[in-house]
Amino acid sequence: MADTPEAIRKSIRTYLLIGGILFAGTIITVMVATVPALDIGHHGFDVWDAILGLAIAATKATLVAAVFMHLNHEKKTVYWIFGSGLFFVFWLFALIGLAKKDPIHDPFFFGSKSTTPAHMTTPTRR
Amino acid sequence: MEIPYIVTPRKDTGLFNSKIAIWLFLASEVMLFGGFFSAYVFLRLGADYPWPERTLPVLPGLINTFVLIGSSVTVVFAWASLKMRKWRHFQIYMGITITCALLFMVLKAVEYNVKFHHQAVRLTDYTVVEGHLGYEKENGEYVLDHHGRKIEENMIQIEASGLTFSTVRHHKPWVEELITQAEHRKSEIKLAADVKGRTEEGGRDDVVIAKAGEPLSLALLAKIREAHLDARAHNGALRTAGLRSEWKKAKTENPGKRGWELASAVNVDVKALDEAKKLLTEFSTVSFKVDPPARFDFKPRDVREGATQSRLRDDTVIDGKLLPSPMVFHYVDAIDFRHLAMKAVEKGQDPIDAVENSWLVQNHAFAREAWEWNKAQVAKLEAALLKDYGVDQETGKPKREPTAKERYRIDWKDFVAKSDGVDRGKGAIAVKEEFMGPDYKGREAKETFPEHFSLPREQVRFASKFTPAWNTYYAIYFAITGLHGLHVIGGALVLAYYLFFGRKMYDSNPEWLANRVEVGGLFWHFVDLVWIFVFPIFYLM
Repeated sequence: MADTPEAIRKSIRTYLLIGGILFAGTIITVMVATVPALDIGHHGFDVWDAILGLAIAATKATLVAAVFMHLNHEKKTVYWIFGSGLFFVFWLFALIGLAKKDPIHDPFFFGSKSTTPAHMTTPTRR
Repeated sequence: MEIPYIVTPRKDTGLFNSKIAIWLFLASEVMLFGGFFSAYVFLRLGADYPWPERTLPVLPGLINTFVLIGSSVTVVFAWASLKMRKWRHFQIYMGITITCALLFMVLKAVEYNVKFHHQAVRLTDYTVVEGHLGYEKENGEYVLDHHGRKIEENMIQIEASGLTFSTVRHHKPWVEELITQAEHRKSEIKLAADVKGRTEEGGRDDVVIAKAGEPLSLALLAKIREAHLDARAHNGALRTAGLRSEWKKAKTENPGKRGWELASAVNVDVKALDEAKKLLTEFSTVSFKVDPPARFDFKPRDVREGATQSRLRDDTVIDGKLLPSPMVFHYVDAIDFRHLAMKAVEKGQDPIDAVENSWLVQNHAFAREAWEWNKAQVAKLEAALLKDYGVDQETGKPKREPTAKERYRIDWKDFVAKSDGVDRGKGAIAVKEEFMGPDYKGREAKETFPEHFSLPREQVRFASKFTPAWNTYYAIYFAITGLHGLHVIGGALVLAYYLFFGRKMYDSNPEWLANRVEVGGLFWHFVDLVWIFVFPIFYLM
């Protein structure tokens, strides 16, 4: 554990390096979103841009958590506490999938003729 | 009392206590922000309008990202300095961290402010126009209202001849506003007829509470309201008592029957009560006439307008003709046909036809011109994409096509490109525009932005500044960034406390302060971590 002054002095370089990676990651995120030559998938924003953007963001977040927040060498208790929070968030996101897969079609709201509203049957791909 | 485990770890957890506490708090924070982010995904997937993707100016967001990352590095350095017992270094790094927090909040405030002063309107055919409203002018001078303020050209104007107030619901500031507006127009609001009725049991039924011709005042409305409430309480009590005795009678006459079997037969004879002069007169509304009829101005959000009768949100009914109350944009920033095109596709119509038949293109020369120009640009883009990426062999369609935004949204950068030979803005103007939006005055060329763009009131479906009311995108944007901003303020306050009041603790027990700063730093990193997701999600997707 980087707790002794000597160990901390050594890890200063790591902190600087991570800071640099975070800056670089941010620039890359902006570039893939704004420079047409770096656009992946379809022209303009699409699912691939979302995946790439979120992947970079997740990497940056992991670096912050692991190095700045010392999660790379923490006690078990912390992993349990933080992990349980993440667990619930994961299921919260899973609920969205459930809501999309099995939506409630209210005939009073959407009209008796159509049980599925038009915008839900249209393919969402642009 | 000595606080345990501030420096030495507890045996069971292996950690000092405040670290456990902060991680418990951060776990709850993860769930809080997780909830908001999942709400964002849910709103975006279920949106029944074109999601405004990549709509915020990137530069302020990018700078804020750099600022927060930088502060994350310096807060770690501040902690490391304490661990190495370098007080001066700690002060410097912590000072930088707090300066970064301030800078972040200033930029955020600028961003919010620009949005709150930026008008948007959705027309009845779902065309969206964005820009800035103008103020009423006469002979080149601003017209001032009775408060001495400029009048935004977005007021609903009604030539009122009569006003009917709800005696219980009228909103006092609005009544006062009506009185001053009438004075300003040299008109008077007077009681239309005597307010009279029965005020006590068995009494005469033409007792005059207020005489016709009395001028409108809050005191007058209060007097009528009091009589109304007294009468209502009295009548209510009478009806309750009557109902109670009826129920007693029905129960004794029909032993063994259930309540629901008797219910339809149990009633109070209100008419008989009235004939016996027991009921008092209720005055739920009171009517005034405006003499002579005068023009009143209302904010659009306060009134539901009609051709001959309008209604305020406090149930005040205004009789009188609706005057033409156009919404006038001093400058237009964007014309957006995406929603209209989407609606056309849903109905199985050709979106291009729908745009060309839209009210705006049909009625505004500038809009028509801009649309034609944009169509040519899209055609050029289509050709360029086809040349660069070719055709998909399977479907026979071009691999890459212009986006809906490119096809159907014409914004201020397009206006600038369209007006050929325009001053494209020196560096400073371009940078300023990234923060504040188009610089109408800085760009000298005329007719870059359409001026005095008038939209008749009947074409307006919904209008709003760029506030949470405008659409679900802005609602969730303000919810998440606002909550994040509060976290920045909270974190900065705590870190500033360590900086300015930490010396005493440092002298007595430096390790204790180091641990406190570590815990404060953990929160600060979390705030940075949230922003790492906020930035791409709101600014780039």
